[in-house]
Amino acid sequence: MSDTPNKAEHHKVKTEGFPDDQKTVVQELRGLAVAVVAPLDDQTSFLVRELQRLRIRVRQTWPMPETIPSDADIVYCEYSPDIARRLPWIPGDARSALVVILPNGDPIQPDALAHATPDAALSRPFSGNAVIASLILARSQFRYEQRLRSKIERLDENLRSMRTVERAKTILMTTRHMPENEAYGFIRRQAMDRRVSTSAVAAAIVDSFELLGYDQQQ
Amino acid sequence: MRAQKTGSPWRIGVLFSRTGFMSVIEETQYYGTMLAIEEINSAGGVNGRELIPVIYDPGSEALSFGHFAKRLMIEDSVSTIFGCYTSSSRKAVLPVVERLNGLLWYPTLYEGFEASPNVIYTGAAPNQNSLALCRFLMKTYGNRFYFIGSDYIYPRESNRVMRELIKESGGSVVGERYLNIRARRQDFLPVVNEIRRLQPDVIFSTVVGDGTVFLYQTYTEAGLDPRTMPIASLTTTEAEIRAMGFDVGEGHITAAPYFEGVPGAANATFVTNFKKRFGDDCSTNMCVESSYFQFYLFAKALEQANTLDTDVLRSMVLGTTFSAPQGQVAVDPLSGHTDLWTRIGRANRRGQFDILDESSSAVHPDPFLIGYGRAMAGTE
Repeated sequence: MSDTPNKAEHHKVKTEGFPDDQKTVVQELRGLAVAVVAPLDDQTSFLVRELQRLRIRVRQTWPMPETIPSDADIVYCEYSPDIARRLPWIPGDARSALVVILPNGDPIQPDALAHATPDAALSRPFSGNAVIASLILARSQFRYEQRLRSKIERLDENLRSMRTVERAKTILMTTRHMPENEAYGFIRRQAMDRRVSTSAVAAAIVDSFELLGYDQQQ
Repeated sequence: MRAQKTGSPWRIGVLFSRTGFMSVIEETQYYGTMLAIEEINSAGGVNGRELIPVIYDPGSEALSFGHFAKRLMIEDSVSTIFGCYTSSSRKAVLPVVERLNGLLWYPTLYEGFEASPNVIYTGAAPNQNSLALCRFLMKTYGNRFYFIGSDYIYPRESNRVMRELIKESGGSVVGERYLNIRARRQDFLPVVNEIRRLQPDVIFSTVVGDGTVFLYQTYTEAGLDPRTMPIASLTTTEAEIRAMGFDVGEGHITAAPYFEGVPGAANATFVTNFKKRFGDDCSTNMCVESSYFQFYLFAKALEQANTLDTDVLRSMVLGTTFSAPQGQVAVDPLSGHTDLWTRIGRANRRGQFDILDESSSAVHPDPFLIGYGRAMAGTE
């Protein structure tokens, strides 16, 4: 453990009250890959050391590449008016959390910052608290957005599977002369007995109905 | 984008492919958009300000649509974009306009199941074309269908809806084939041979782009007869008929909100202006028309909002009506889709569609097909 006694104590305080199997926020950051796109001055060295102290894998790059690296969990990138253009993804499809490093004094263009859609910002000069705050914010905002996006994808899927269930229900109502409630109950019971989803049972009913060409036999 | 200074032009983005395999139809959407822009500008612009389109050609590549949308919104500071034909291109632009809060105006029929707060949809949802087409085909030609489509999102999703409609009306799908969206002429021969062997009553095509021309031409060369086994489509417009040859297209069926032959003064003026601008041999079609009227919907909203700010503009658009060439249309406040007319047309020797059937008024969009399941159950 390379932590100073002071820092170690600080972490200990934070973990109090957590059950042993639950990771602290700082523990969750361990092993992450961070790309730092900034000139290697005293400030950047401080940032790299702070990150390494949290056992984060850090890679520093400068000059600013035409395309910012896309293989890190979090990218710390020096502000530039064309930062959005240099990002390796289109807005809304980010593959890493982004922290923009803001200059000390020189004014930035607010629109340029907005277009980059960063998850957090870190102003020069850096402090230990600001670094940890930027890490936590970026990670939590980015992952929350990812969870929301996957939730929407699942909702879209569910919407479609509900239509399959509707069709299966209609098939049962027509071919087995079941009332609506009974048809739905049948699908649900089959799903429980077979330990598969309702939509899987519904899809199987619809598929077999089409395969057997039930309508042609009628 | 904030309100602009008085007199400075309104800048908007235009994204239609003018090169590549989708250009045959997307170029007509480009023309429809440009015609509206030119008409509005020559009448003094919107609130005295000129409309300046920032135009890119994504070359029929879905990924390029995403990159150009990014460039429009970030480098060109444009927040309102008119564009996209294929669903893949719309889905490429979607994350950009959603993340940066832009507004995409999408003038194309599509498979439904979407309602983004950052899109205004002015093409037909499945309940506005598939439903009527299915009924008409089963009544007129028979109930054995063969599906042929380009292999991407729209044909597969649209066929899924069509298959449900056919099944629930007692029909059957006797064959289903998907060809690469870049399929060559010779790739259609095995399909047409299979069609000849299976003898369906109707061929339902969701082939788009250059493939449309190859399909219909291969069909004609095989000596098949559209009077007894037509190709029915939601996507074959006057533009594709012209590309394949009027004699090749004759007798085939398309369902659409608009054909050039729609009667009425609004359409007569539109067709005259279109031909004056782009040439007498150019036809309008459903995609030109939706590109055209959606721009007027936009201009009307912009006049009231006097800002290109997406939130203000969108709220002005929702619920508005417009006398489009197809008839009165309205934007549904809930879904951002448009009330559109349903029409069935049969291509004639002059490359135009004779209208065989039409709705009595504009049909309400139901992109998630929520009401339609019950409607179908009711007919059984």
